[in-house]
Amino acid sequence: MRHAVLSTILCLIFAGTAFAQWDLPKNLPPDEYGTVLINRTSEKNGVKPAVFSHWVHRRKHTCRVCHFEIEFNFKVNTTEITEAASKGGRYCGTAGCHDGKAVFGHSEENCGRCHTGTRTTDTKLYASLSSFPKNRYGNGVNWVKALDEGLIKPLTTLTIPQADMSFDKRLRLEAEWQKIPAAVFPHGEHNAWLDCNNCHPDIFNIKKKTTKHFAMVRILQGEFCGVCHLSVAFPMDDCKRCHPKMR
Amino acid sequence: MKKSVILLFVVCVLATTVFAQSGVKKKRPLPYEYGRVLISNFSEQAGLPAVEFEHWFHRTKFTCRLCHVDLAFAMKAGGSSIRAADNAKGFYCGTCHNGKKGPDGKKIFESCSVPWTRDDLPKCQRCHSHGKVVKREHDFDAVTGKFPRERFGNGINWEKAENDGLIKLTDEIPGVSIPRPPMAGVKDFSISPTTQGIAEIIFSHKKHTVWNGCEVCHPEIFIGVKKGTTKYSMVEIYGGKYCGVCHGSVAFPLLDCQRCHTKPVQQL
Repeated sequence: MRHAVLSTILCLIFAGTAFAQWDLPKNLPPDEYGTVLINRTSEKNGVKPAVFSHWVHRRKHTCRVCHFEIEFNFKVNTTEITEAASKGGRYCGTAGCHDGKAVFGHSEENCGRCHTGTRTTDTKLYASLSSFPKNRYGNGVNWVKALDEGLIKPLTTLTIPQADMSFDKRLRLEAEWQKIPAAVFPHGEHNAWLDCNNCHPDIFNIKKKTTKHFAMVRILQGEFCGVCHLSVAFPMDDCKRCHPKMR
Repeated sequence: MKKSVILLFVVCVLATTVFAQSGVKKKRPLPYEYGRVLISNFSEQAGLPAVEFEHWFHRTKFTCRLCHVDLAFAMKAGGSSIRAADNAKGFYCGTCHNGKKGPDGKKIFESCSVPWTRDDLPKCQRCHSHGKVVKREHDFDAVTGKFPRERFGNGINWEKAENDGLIKLTDEIPGVSIPRPPMAGVKDFSISPTTQGIAEIIFSHKKHTVWNGCEVCHPEIFIGVKKGTTKYSMVEIYGGKYCGVCHGSVAFPLLDCQRCHTKPVQQL
């Protein structure tokens, strides 16, 4: 009897890992892709959630500025952003950002500019991306190309100059399954936007030959590459962009 | 029966491999939580909560060396197996926390007294506070509010705070510390990473010896004093060895790659 129960549990665990959630998230309209509503304490305090459009910000700043220098976490609602902190020059209110000088600040008449409660707040601005190189998914913009071609010149730092980020090792990641072509990972294209620490060692440890862990299932569930490439960076509908030999 | 035990074992092993490495960002401690250590060798057996030790407050007053060398505190939480009786005799915490005046003339509350009664509980909970709501005498924001800011960890540039005279650190306790001659200047040096294309590391001895003297690092963490004697890798450092003994838990965390990897890659 006990044997049977244990075998059932074992089967269920296997089944759970193998077939869990294969669907990609629904494709959002291009002007809403990467837009988050921050609602850690807003509604509890009677204010509408704050909207944050990644695509608006990444035209002017790299990921590194906010997710490294300003210490925004990667997961929405996990950073202790408060009105006091922002007014005191942290998070959104960091000098050179929403400090009332560089861009609109945290004075009362501006509350409603971010605390809109809707993802479509910045839709009007979206037309400004029309001249950018196209991409089939996500924001409909190939951001890597836009950066390469100099169409955008995002700041990589606010206060602390960035050290040597020229590391450009290209990794070839063999697929676990037969007949699936290897994935290619270019450090250089990532370094243009990110700091080492954004990915290492939390998301990817730096041990060699540990790519076995990066099973596609787990990536699709939001781990590893999926931390960014499901919600902000180009989504994984675009298989060929990482597996270039995929037919 | 035996079979089911084996099966259960297999399930456990599989479960650990599946969840061994999670590919998402870890939660970062908040500035006032960074450097907090839980010490619970005997506390819970004695019916008391674990001790929450705040590095941030102690390092506004003392060097690392004083506690970790002269007072013999291990570098790992719980590594010293401190007993109440030790404190009562004037070892470990009891060296300073003895109800007498500290170096700044302020009375330092007494640590464990033996024997203790239930009436002593509020006193005990000043340190044995894990899981309790205890109002601290020293508020993080009030104490550190004016200190120079920095990213990560406590959000404080401790080195600058010391240079600017905002904190004055005690490095010796008369009668406990062995008098030491002043330290001779030690050189900064660069270390080349094994992976090509990664910026070189500048290690500043000067910055480290202010807090640590020699003994915190040598010879236990870094064997010998000759450059290149100790071989280590970033993987080991992330695992809490070598630089990772302090950097990751108390000193600025290993998030700030470029604080050590500062020298541009040498072009060949």
